Amino acid sequence: MAVAQEPDGGALATANRVYARIEDGLAWVAAGGIFLLMFFGTAQIVLSKLNFPIFGYIDVVEQSIALFAFLAVAYCQRLGGHVRMELVISRLSGRGFWFAEVLSILASLVFIALMLEPSFGHFLRAWEAGDSTINAELPIWPTKLMVPVALSILWLRLLLQFLGYFRLFLNPAATPVAVPLVLDVAEQAEEEIQDALGDDYDALREEARRDD
Amino acid sequence: MIEMDPLDIGLIGILALLVLVFIGVRVFIAAGAVGMAGLIAIIGWDAGIGMAGTIPHSKSLTYVLSVLPMFILIGYLAFHAGMTTAVFEAARRWTGWLPGGLAVATVFATAGFAAVSGASTATAAVFARTAIPEMLRHGYDRRLAAGVVAAGGTLASLIPPSAILVLYAIIVEESVGKLLLAGFIPGLISAVIYAVIISGRVIVSPELAPATEKFNLTAALKATPGTWPIVAVIAIIFGAIYRGWATPTDAGALGAFVIFSVALYRGMTRNKLKEALMETAKLTVMIFSIIWGVLVFVRFMGFAGLPAAFADFLTGLDMSPTLIIVMILIGYAILGMFMDGIGMLLLTLPIVYPAVIGLGYDPIWFGIIVVKMVEVCLITPPIGLNCYVVHGVRPDIPLQDVFRGIGLFFIADILTVALFIAYPEIITFLPDLMTKN
Repeated sequence: MAVAQEPDGGALATANRVYARIEDGLAWVAAGGIFLLMFFGTAQIVLSKLNFPIFGYIDVVEQSIALFAFLAVAYCQRLGGHVRMELVISRLSGRGFWFAEVLSILASLVFIALMLEPSFGHFLRAWEAGDSTINAELPIWPTKLMVPVALSILWLRLLLQFLGYFRLFLNPAATPVAVPLVLDVAEQAEEEIQDALGDDYDALREEARRDD
Repeated sequence: MIEMDPLDIGLIGILALLVLVFIGVRVFIAAGAVGMAGLIAIIGWDAGIGMAGTIPHSKSLTYVLSVLPMFILIGYLAFHAGMTTAVFEAARRWTGWLPGGLAVATVFATAGFAAVSGASTATAAVFARTAIPEMLRHGYDRRLAAGVVAAGGTLASLIPPSAILVLYAIIVEESVGKLLLAGFIPGLISAVIYAVIISGRVIVSPELAPATEKFNLTAALKATPGTWPIVAVIAIIFGAIYRGWATPTDAGALGAFVIFSVALYRGMTRNKLKEALMETAKLTVMIFSIIWGVLVFVRFMGFAGLPAAFADFLTGLDMSPTLIIVMILIGYAILGMFMDGIGMLLLTLPIVYPAVIGLGYDPIWFGIIVVKMVEVCLITPPIGLNCYVVHGVRPDIPLQDVFRGIGLFFIADILTVALFIAYPEIITFLPDLMTKN
């Protein structure tokens, strides 16, 4: 989903742009982790057939999950990628719609804030006790730390979205800034087509224009 | 702690969850927040929050879940491996002689491609671009042409690799391998039933699909090698699990590596790779977030004793188990019209699943049936995203025509589900065979 970044959002638009870079960076780390896992898994198959299985393979894979399970959570939130049901709220418009969004983000802010302390505590216990994985004896604290870190980054993204929605609630005529847009089924379909067809999509739309 | 019966707290929790989901709160947050609030209400503030806070790490970092990004990556890379034309060509050479042969070819080509890409809607987009023009050029009825493309994509979730079957397995704590195996034959049967119903319809009304060019065996064999990446991925995953020579994650990694190599060979650019990886990361984190959010909710439900109570209620009903299962499936069909499949499954299974097992049904069997229902919802109004996609690629085919074209396949799906209910062995025999070996 596209994020509006019109200049009239002022400070919010700037904050959104700068913050998006951090989120993109973390999403990159997640994507890189997935890419490496592909090679790692393939290597494990080949090497174990040759009777040289990778030592601590399962431990490494399990710990690597933290990279792609958590780090891109704010990136996904920015792009409106987390699943939700839009059937009811998409019927609302103007101020009513933005109010629903404000409420929804407020609930999210409270929940994620409450998750921070216990997830950090979970890390702290592992750090103090020096917990490690069973076979390869990898320390567990780094991946446990990723949870509160990723959730803090998500919390700040939610805060930006809260400001973005609240601004629209006050002034529904303003250009949306720092919020993902809700698409109807036809728009969603259009986006799916664009993703699936890639370069061919431009050709398709060009043909459609010619036919008109 | 609140002095209330945990069961009542559980019921309030379900109501709260429904409200949050309806006002548009992201599913992972709605489930997690209600789960945390419920835990606090039952076991107190410190214990409740503490428990919720440890779930994301402790439940996500388990080896079986590492298969998800691999299957998703295969899907995104598949679009760059340029296989659609080759697959369609091979399928039409093999099935072109049948009544409605091009439509039948579309069914098998979309089934194969959808299985590997795992993306029902995107498959519909791609084949609307390649198969519909071909069918229309040969004088096919446009409703039939549009319907077969929209419906063909729905075969994605049963044939391995299937991320949604992995999710089912994880939520109900069943073997991922068994579910992936179990989906294979029902997926094939679904495709065959589509094909039979197309041919039957064309025999009755030949004007829907004029006969097309027939190919001899040599020509058909010649076109077959173009499909090897799809066959390879399905065979690697199926074979690895069935023969037990690799875990689903390793097989998924190897499958992704094969498709990645093909995509590189076909000239995938660095930018396209970057795009595929970022999309994979986005979908992966989305799924992991729902998993831990829902698992916080599941923990709350466990303390509230609601799944057990619901199971007792259903098994105590004076109704035949078949009737109850049919009602549950109708419930899923209705819910699926309004909600994304993954969110719907993960939210409902913790409560519905124990009841279904209590009625004496097989966990693997139920997984396949439920996933099949989720897919059917992709073609039913009011949302029916696949139909919108086909119409979006072919604006000359009105949306009503696409929905009308789907009718035939909807009937086929109902027949398929009825068949699986009547003969559950169709689903269970392969995983049972694996256990025996």
